[in-house]
Amino acid sequence: MKKFVLFLAALLVVTLSGMAIAADTIKVGYLAALTGDWAAYGQTERNTAMLAVDEINAKGGINGRKIELVVYDFRGRQEDAVNAVRRMIEEDKVAAIVGANASGINIATAALVNKAGVSQIGTVSTNPAVTVDRNGKVRPYSFRVCFTDPYQGKLIAYFAAHELKLTKGAILYDIASDYSQGLREFFMKSYAEYGGKVVADEAFKGGQDVDFRAQLTKIRDAGADVLVLPNMGKEMALIMKQARELGMKEITFIGGDGYAEFMWEIAGEAMEGSYWINHVAPEDPAMAKFFADYKTKYNDECKEFVNGILGYDAMYWLFDAIARAGDPTPANIAKALATTENLQVHHAVLTMDEFHNPKDKDGVVLIAKDGRGQFFTKIKPE
Amino acid sequence: MSNYTEGILILLMINGIAAMGVSLLTGFTGIFTLGHAAYLAIGSYTTAILTLDYGLHWLPAVLLGGTLAMIIGYLVGLPTLKLMGDYYAIASIGLAESIRLIIENWQSVTNGARGIPGIDTFTTLPTTALFFVVMAYGAFCLINSRIGRAFKACRDDHVAASLLGFNTPRYRVLSLSISAFYVGIAGGLYAGFISFIQPVMFDMLKSTEMTSVVVFGGLGSMSGALLGTTIITLVTELFRPISQYRMLIYGLVLVLVMVFRPEGLLGRHEVGPALFRQLIGRHPAPQREERGPH
Amino acid sequence: MGTFIQQIINGLSLGSVYALIAVGYSLVYSILLFSNFAHGGFLVIGGYICYYTLNLMGANIWLAGFAALIGAGFCAVLTERLAYKPIRERTSVTLYLLIASMGMSIVIENLFVIIAGGRFRALPPVIPTAPVDLFGLATTSAFDLLSLAAAVVFLGGLQLFLTRTKWGLAIRAAAYDLRVAGLMGVNVGRLISIVFFVAGLLAAVGGIFLSVRYTLYPQLGAITIKAFVAAVIGGLGSLPGAVVGSLILGLAEMLTAGFLSSQLRDLVVFSLLVITLIVRPSGLFGKDIKEKV
Repeated sequence: MKKFVLFLAALLVVTLSGMAIAADTIKVGYLAALTGDWAAYGQTERNTAMLAVDEINAKGGINGRKIELVVYDFRGRQEDAVNAVRRMIEEDKVAAIVGANASGINIATAALVNKAGVSQIGTVSTNPAVTVDRNGKVRPYSFRVCFTDPYQGKLIAYFAAHELKLTKGAILYDIASDYSQGLREFFMKSYAEYGGKVVADEAFKGGQDVDFRAQLTKIRDAGADVLVLPNMGKEMALIMKQARELGMKEITFIGGDGYAEFMWEIAGEAMEGSYWINHVAPEDPAMAKFFADYKTKYNDECKEFVNGILGYDAMYWLFDAIARAGDPTPANIAKALATTENLQVHHAVLTMDEFHNPKDKDGVVLIAKDGRGQFFTKIKPE
Repeated sequence: MSNYTEGILILLMINGIAAMGVSLLTGFTGIFTLGHAAYLAIGSYTTAILTLDYGLHWLPAVLLGGTLAMIIGYLVGLPTLKLMGDYYAIASIGLAESIRLIIENWQSVTNGARGIPGIDTFTTLPTTALFFVVMAYGAFCLINSRIGRAFKACRDDHVAASLLGFNTPRYRVLSLSISAFYVGIAGGLYAGFISFIQPVMFDMLKSTEMTSVVVFGGLGSMSGALLGTTIITLVTELFRPISQYRMLIYGLVLVLVMVFRPEGLLGRHEVGPALFRQLIGRHPAPQREERGPH
Repeated sequence: MGTFIQQIINGLSLGSVYALIAVGYSLVYSILLFSNFAHGGFLVIGGYICYYTLNLMGANIWLAGFAALIGAGFCAVLTERLAYKPIRERTSVTLYLLIASMGMSIVIENLFVIIAGGRFRALPPVIPTAPVDLFGLATTSAFDLLSLAAAVVFLGGLQLFLTRTKWGLAIRAAAYDLRVAGLMGVNVGRLISIVFFVAGLLAAVGGIFLSVRYTLYPQLGAITIKAFVAAVIGGLGSLPGAVVGSLILGLAEMLTAGFLSSQLRDLVVFSLLVITLIVRPSGLFGKDIKEKV
């Protein structure tokens, strides 16, 4: 017991000394799920953010000041995210925060960052409420680097009904996720406009349910020809695998931006021929250097490339804003972020609209073929 | 005092109120629970819904949250508290999960699994301190009262207690009701502190944590429960930067305490002159009963 | 009708995996009278051993499965020796064991978070999952049939072990009264080790099948709470009870999700638990536990 107490004390000393503040750096917080169900996405984002920071510091930082990254884990839970953000703002005094990668988390922390006046950039937080409050007013310190759910839902509906001509749709969504529920709502609305009909509307509980055969049996018996999956990677992979096991050979899967390469390990063959509406394509030549650098630094493929690229470019967007802010106070940075216009980051050109959403980004459709996600087409709904 | 330190102090006192509730039931009445997160959920959801949807002032909302937790504790206790030992502990898991799942499925009222954001942050340091002092005073009075002695009698030997004329089932249900009230109040204050609640925050892990801080501090010691919750809360906050190891350390502490000191840090002693006298060896230790709660 | 039969098949296949885990809970309970919540951890250990022997050593599934079973069994014995034995020797209060087992389950889960990372791992497709048509009435996967077969083989093996061997007899005697069995000359320490080894071994079988079906991750053990509920419904300490309870639970889950609402399935699971405990705490097949109520 005594030894254990000593061990605890030693850990404490290490922790506290690690928190000593280095002068002259600009601190940037990064909110990432390093443990829990979303750990795969979160660890990739942390890696790419560190890559971006190393790159900018190697060039001498911004206006002569180095960037220091403060990464806290939120275990995929709002409760922990709130505590982590509170700590970033009040203890570490960060200039801005990047993350999280989920709308529900950004919505939960929005009150906090907007009260404290510290900007927060969501990476793949696509729900409209991330940057807009209940009364439809823009939240002054909330931003995102990705497109929104209404837009994404419309892209999925357009692609299914208009491009693939599949009009008997089923949807299996996660009732515990704002992202999934939002996407479902906007998909259903647009799908009807494009002439589609939803024949099965089923739900599960993310993070807990792993067996979807009961719902899939219902979907199968409803005669759907397309199954829309607005979920996270693990659940989508399990759903596709279990669907094929139940003999659903003909049904086409269309998913959103939760696509991740690790889904292949889980779903294997069942992935083949599925379509994924997404923000970026791994084949984009502008990203080649990023993938190579990532591999050199971490000796691992950047499998969750959507999160990786968006996290990476969110950092570069922030660097640009810090440079333009003059004195990098949180308020000046927020102003610089909001007035971003025609900024070329790696994967796109960013221009902010009045609601802090990037304007008119193209949707990319990936097709799962030969063991990886490949560029299929670019779409912009009519 | 920075906002962060203030936040930790508030959290300490909220957890302390909950720990006193659990200690009353587990430490003083000998009923192990693995489902007290449910009463925390009832308290915080009641407070959140009453303040947000009905525009009620937060003070009556918190008190109503505690009261509702107490009523549900009473209703739940009537049929299940005839179970003894770990059978009640198992039943409490089922009850707590059921309550959590009802909250999760009652979309129209609770907003389901997505939770309720934007709760007014009414929990300030002075209000929490006031709640804490009043409830701690109440708890210490209670355990030294006639009712408190009856609880202890139920814990130490419930057969003998019932032969002595104590209505043991009634006292067990009473203990659970008061315990649920404390935890419900803590839940209401927690909602006003964190400003966002969702059902997954009140899962089995939370229940285990609530009981284990009390075991850690000392079964049958109010001040032990408070000491336990203080240590565990501080350790969890301090280890946030190395969060991957946080839960591992927490689990290890739990096992090590059970292996080396199952009676907890303070055992059945309260922090006070008596403990101090005993520590410096001028007073023989009271005979310790190794029966434990059965 | 087709849908109904399909949901029944789905339920039985889910229940058969629960059964492998639930007997582990019941086995330990029958001897030591406490619910070993670290049981889910043994399952995760089995899954990871299987994963790493398959991937790093390139072993075939039989060898990897064997290593997983032995490894998980060994870890279960180790857990008992390190965490439970000191408590057992000090006090007869089983609730301390219960809390220690919860601590162990947190420790094991987070050890894997640190060692293996939180990423979802999929076992290579060592077990076929192709759809199988059942007389045109329903479709199941080859995997389900195999997991059902494995459950039958291992549970049958357990039954043989308990009825035909000397140690099996000793375990059954100890289940009536551990102390008396000790007085009759049974080596109680070794007997408990054997019980934990068998429980860990069965958990690993469940772990391999679960990680093929639902992928492998440190929190996979959490699914055992359902198996635990099944063990309580069947009657803690009763092996046939654990199996029947598991099948009932699997069916209840699938039929609720299929015909009522998928959101209610967990509510049904935990309501069944509470109702069982109120109406008949000893479960369907449990020993009379008058001394407990």
